[in-house]
Amino acid sequence: MLRQRPHLLWLLVPFVLFLVALPWVNRVHPVVVGLPFLTFWMLASTLVTPFAVWAAYRGDRRLAAKGRGEGR
Amino acid sequence: MNAAVATSVFGAFMAVTVVLGLLAVRGRGGGGGGITEWSVGGRGLGTVFIWVLMAGEGYTSFSYLGGAGWGYDFGAPVLYVVAYLSCGYAVGYVVGPMLWSYARRHGLVSITDMVTHRYGRPWLGALTAVLATVFLLPYIQLQITGMGVVVSTISYGTISLNWAYFIAFAVTTAFVVVSGLRGSAWVSVLKDLLVIGTLIFLIAYVPLHYFGGYGDFLHRVVHEKTAWLTLPGHGHSGMGTGWFISTSVMNALTIVIFPTTVAGYLGARSAGTLRRNAVFLPAYNVLLFVPMLLGLAAAFVVPGLTGSDTNLALFKLVVDALPAWAVGVVGVAAALSSIVPMAVFMLVIGTMWGRSVLSLVPRLSGDARQKAAAQCVVVIAGALALVLTYAAPGTLVRLSLISYEGMAQLLPMLLLGLVWRRLTTVAALSGLAVGVALVCTLVFGGHDPVWGVNAGIVALAANLLVALAVTYAGVGTARERADTRPDEEVLADDALRDDPAPA
Repeated sequence: MLRQRPHLLWLLVPFVLFLVALPWVNRVHPVVVGLPFLTFWMLASTLVTPFAVWAAYRGDRRLAAKGRGEGR
Repeated sequence: MNAAVATSVFGAFMAVTVVLGLLAVRGRGGGGGGITEWSVGGRGLGTVFIWVLMAGEGYTSFSYLGGAGWGYDFGAPVLYVVAYLSCGYAVGYVVGPMLWSYARRHGLVSITDMVTHRYGRPWLGALTAVLATVFLLPYIQLQITGMGVVVSTISYGTISLNWAYFIAFAVTTAFVVVSGLRGSAWVSVLKDLLVIGTLIFLIAYVPLHYFGGYGDFLHRVVHEKTAWLTLPGHGHSGMGTGWFISTSVMNALTIVIFPTTVAGYLGARSAGTLRRNAVFLPAYNVLLFVPMLLGLAAAFVVPGLTGSDTNLALFKLVVDALPAWAVGVVGVAAALSSIVPMAVFMLVIGTMWGRSVLSLVPRLSGDARQKAAAQCVVVIAGALALVLTYAAPGTLVRLSLISYEGMAQLLPMLLLGLVWRRLTTVAALSGLAVGVALVCTLVFGGHDPVWGVNAGIVALAANLLVALAVTYAGVGTARERADTRPDEEVLADDALRDDPAPA
């Protein structure tokens, strides 16, 4: 599936942001816009996630368009 | 006086709710429309239906009251909710369309008949229905507890918690039996408006009212509640980074097969709808930070709550900060955030039983009888959850965790089975048995988290290893060969072809 749809790797972005990065962001300082760093990081990651899923979606749409082109 | 005002506001809104539910059913055969109308809204709910189910998962009393409770008690560990929901949408982007197209091709309505179809064994589907129901009970208990807290608090203690639990059970069960899914979908619009409205109001008002503004509130949090702001949080929670990561991974995988999520997937018009939903829905998770912050604010304003009393944190704060009528309104929002998801949970249980268990009983053939039987199952499930509420009270988040840890054990049988033909019935079943046994031993033995990670993921690993080992050992392969259906008939595909042309 990944060979045909490599853009699905974008879906790993939330896992990297929320989980892989955790040991490095589990801290109070620096305080960003008043928020303790861990909370700020999670909030930022939440805002980034829709864009990552969108990137995967865009890849699928291009693939579908290409498939239809070849089918003709 | 306060109690009278708050309770009247609350009672008035509850009446509106029931009327809405009844209106939704009227003109559709007055609730006599058979099991399909009752359980899946006659499959005609389209986009609203999906939105209700998917966004609903984010706004149950688990996140509204439970999020505040854990924020109050532990702090940072509760952020796992945001982490797993965000990661879960990414997993759902792939799995959702897959399950949707599988169910559509073979005319299936729940995970239980997917199992029946994949392995060609109806009893396995029935077993899955029983297990899934058991694992959903803590989630229903969670909603009863949440609504009980609300009823008790807005009566300013006039109604004791124990009576409030019973009222919560009675109101919700009656609502479900009468209105079905269509009614729940209507009421949920009211619920979402109230929940979002009250959350935005509270996060604007509370810091101003108590702390003189945002900056001051956050400043005090950073300086006085430092222990709450990083993992493992305040107190000896045992919930460090290892727990956070393992729990989020397990929940993100489990949410895509959670029976209510799957019900949402299957209601979609096309695979493309699900993919687009997976892009937009994660944005709603931003609102989940609000109850957590309010929980921290409550830690300053109403200190001293412990154990399952922390469920009350948000409401103690609201009662302290707002006039009685406003307490009533917030109470309605919170009560609806229990009722609507609970109705959906119960309907999913009714659907699973109607399709996979009751259909095996010859005496219950016929649509009307099956609907009555499914409604009986729903009432029994609700009553069991009520008994659990009295017998084993817990914090809201804890109950949700137990539910997910159990449900996770269905992952290899369902998801791995749908993409890997070699997985045999015997192997899937052995894995499931080991996983369920292990998760029960660990959770009820008080060993969760175990070695710093979520007990459910440990059991899931054992489950998977056993399933793989039994498959590679070749046990039961002879019987599988008797199943001569082609792979396309048994396995799921990536559903890319089901996507309509982009406009």
